[in-house]
Amino acid sequence: MSETKAKKTDVFSDEDAALFEKRESIMLTPDNATFSRSAGGLISLDIINAKGEPEHFERVVVLRSFPITDPDDYIAIREPETRKSKRGHEIGLIENIHQFDEATVSLLNEELDRRYFTPELYKIYSVKEKFGYSYWEADTSAGKVTFVLNNPSSNIRILEDDRIFIFDIDGNCFQITDPTKLDRNSYRKIEIYL
Amino acid sequence: MKLMYDLPEQDERAFQAAVGEGEKRMYCLPYNIEVDRFVSGWMVFTDQYIYKILDGELLEKYKMSDLSDFATENLYGSCAFYAKEKGVSKLLCRFISGRNLPRYSVMVKACEILAEGGSKEPLTNGEPERYCPKCGRPFVVHTKICPFCQNKKDVYLKLWAMTKGLRLMMFFPLIAAAFAMAFRFIVPAVQRHAIDNFIEPALGVERGSMTEFILIVAAIVSLDICHRAIDVIKQRMAAFSGNKFTLMLRTLLFEKIQTLSMSSVQKKSTGDLMGRINNDVSVVQNFITGNLPTYFSQLFSFILALILLLWLNPLMCLFVFIPLPLTVYIIGRFWTTVQQRNVHAWIIANRTNRHLQDILNGIRVVKAFGSEEREIVRFEQYTERQAAQDESNAKLFDTVFPLLGFALKLGNYLILLYGNLKVFAGGMTIGALNQFNSYASIIYEPMMQITVIPRNISAFLTSLGKIFEILEEEPEVADIGLPIDISIEGDISIRNVTFGYDSYNPVLENINLEVKQGEMIGIVGHSGCGKTTLINLLMRLYDVTEGAIYIDDVNIKDISQNALRSQIGVVLQETHLFSGSIRDNIRYSKPHATNEEVIQAARLANAHDFIINLPEGYNTMVGEKGFSLSGGERQRIAIARALIHDPRILILDEATAALDTETEKLIQDAINKLTQGRTTFSIAHRLSTLRNADKLIVLDRGKVAEFGTHSELLEQRGIYYKLVMAQQRAALQKQN
Repeated sequence: MSETKAKKTDVFSDEDAALFEKRESIMLTPDNATFSRSAGGLISLDIINAKGEPEHFERVVVLRSFPITDPDDYIAIREPETRKSKRGHEIGLIENIHQFDEATVSLLNEELDRRYFTPELYKIYSVKEKFGYSYWEADTSAGKVTFVLNNPSSNIRILEDDRIFIFDIDGNCFQITDPTKLDRNSYRKIEIYL
Repeated sequence: MKLMYDLPEQDERAFQAAVGEGEKRMYCLPYNIEVDRFVSGWMVFTDQYIYKILDGELLEKYKMSDLSDFATENLYGSCAFYAKEKGVSKLLCRFISGRNLPRYSVMVKACEILAEGGSKEPLTNGEPERYCPKCGRPFVVHTKICPFCQNKKDVYLKLWAMTKGLRLMMFFPLIAAAFAMAFRFIVPAVQRHAIDNFIEPALGVERGSMTEFILIVAAIVSLDICHRAIDVIKQRMAAFSGNKFTLMLRTLLFEKIQTLSMSSVQKKSTGDLMGRINNDVSVVQNFITGNLPTYFSQLFSFILALILLLWLNPLMCLFVFIPLPLTVYIIGRFWTTVQQRNVHAWIIANRTNRHLQDILNGIRVVKAFGSEEREIVRFEQYTERQAAQDESNAKLFDTVFPLLGFALKLGNYLILLYGNLKVFAGGMTIGALNQFNSYASIIYEPMMQITVIPRNISAFLTSLGKIFEILEEEPEVADIGLPIDISIEGDISIRNVTFGYDSYNPVLENINLEVKQGEMIGIVGHSGCGKTTLINLLMRLYDVTEGAIYIDDVNIKDISQNALRSQIGVVLQETHLFSGSIRDNIRYSKPHATNEEVIQAARLANAHDFIINLPEGYNTMVGEKGFSLSGGERQRIAIARALIHDPRILILDEATAALDTETEKLIQDAINKLTQGRTTFSIAHRLSTLRNADKLIVLDRGKVAEFGTHSELLEQRGIYYKLVMAQQRAALQKQN
């Protein structure tokens, strides 16, 4: 089903462009963009847009282009998705988050930490393989957790810088920044998957 | 899926303290994340408020009528539920996506209804629950089996019912295994006699005669022959009954999958279904014919050996058990290490294989970008890693296995020590010691297995559960008690039809349509607007949620599915040709069609000319391993296939989208011939394909936006007009 759908789109993509007006994404810098905390505790944005007019966004979505390798670079700022208008448009990109002042950086990072919620795994209490699933009990920066991995060999990912990402069956992601710093017992439990 | 959870006691108290008079509790869902911690909090939705409760405390209270713009958003690993309170965006809560996203998706819709003061009937979600209600652990993927809470007795009973007719054959191996075991016990007793009376007679015992000795040796040999003979018969029986059972299970499963409706089949992946038919059935077979008799005979021999040992010498029997805890510990310990190492080696080998497959599949890309060198280096890294792992495993295993053997023999050493002392003291004969020692070895044998038994049993139960789950599933689209076999004329009437794959997310809303026999209807609209869904409903691959579809004034739910589908011809964009000849493929829907009919259909589909020029004509093999045909050729065979049974209703779903203009012209001609006198529904992106359509439907977000003839729609200057203009513009640009 999905394959056929993908093939179908081409003829119509020009159409879509003609039917909806698309917004042009701009580079956001402290000169043309001001982030602030919204009344609802989220992030608001005021920009000077491509036409040179001021524009206000009550809430923006903050996304990383390279969440794993370069978390601070190319941060995308987009309008939120809604059920009615579907995917929101991109307002702009920040080349590097540190172009902005401290307060803005911490505001954005707070939102980014919320979005890329990847608790750090400190200690593994037990890993039990049963029925092709593995059941884990561990301590993380977000508290004690139990989680289930389906097919551990493909859901434990080792990055080139030796960080380990673990994706559980519910969609959670846990990370181990430096596996060598795990205590011996914990390391032995994860060792066979590396 | 559950939308009303019970609150824990302290949270319930907090809720009761906050809730107002006359509020109706509608939904109660868990939420899982607060700032940077995992928590177990609750969102309670009443008809007037949303309450957020955590650890017995009310955190937030939102008034439903102040809220709007509900939305869920996929974050990384988790999800968030947003809304606007008096126009201000708020994050209401965060939750784990796998567990709760489908629930909160319903809440988006449900809250919209409540906030607008709509119906106060709770919505439901038809999606299957994926987590065990008892222990909260996830079910085995695509099933409703919780490996921890599965009712084992239930599964065994079902299995028992299923073995009807095979029971005798299945029990023979068990009994034979026990018999074979018994022979192992007789041999040491006979040996004892041979040693004590002939080889090394005890003091004062007369050495027996040579004839007697030969008889004893003959007895030992024939006992051994009997033992082997029974073993052979046992294995043959096991092979027979096991394969019988497998055959039965596979056939049952395949039959069932074929009768299941589209919606249930689509929820499971092809790989999953194949896995159930192949792997799970094998697991069950291996267990019943392999593991079960082994365990049975080992249990039997353990008990028998124990009785014999106690009977022979209770004190020495104690020596057997003294090192037992140590032995079991060592075996258990080493066994886990060995298994872990094996798993690890398997993972690494797998990774190498995957990499190899990836590169070989993409060899054209590698060559095109000239990156052979880099790939060689990468592959070397993988193989080096694998070699290192294999070497280290081999070293470890070669050290561990002798040690394991030693651990297994510990008891025997003690027995030998004590026994020999007794023999020297004259309290025991050598034959008796030998017999005792043989039995002691038998008792240790099952220990090697003890660590894997629970794992094998649970794997067996899970597989069996997965099989039963399919066998017991009720098809969602079912024929009524006495379905009608009508012969269709082709008048179709769609009345107030609403449909969604999930209850909360309608794909089609309130569709009304009258089509006369022989008309050609073009369906136009953006991707995802519900065109294919509409056609699926016409074929009754799914049942409508509301409203009804009538063919010749008969509700399609009253027509037998067989009669309905045999009178509908379908041509899809993705043409799947089965392995077999072109003739077999053309007459797929009418296996007894004559050669003349086949040629006739091929002619109508403009396929005859190219088929006749193939070296083997209509006998040319196509499909996975057959002759490779071009897209247009495959398409024309598919059209011939749809035509052969002379369907009254014809459905063309993007039948020409993947083709170049010239082939499209050929196929268009074929289609024009085809549609005469038949009610036709045609989906197309290229509007030129639809120029012969009598009427056009423009679908937009699940609704009929425009309906009429080509010229009527152009005059309306709506969506259709824009589409036509845009495509003409694109065509002009190409010409320039």
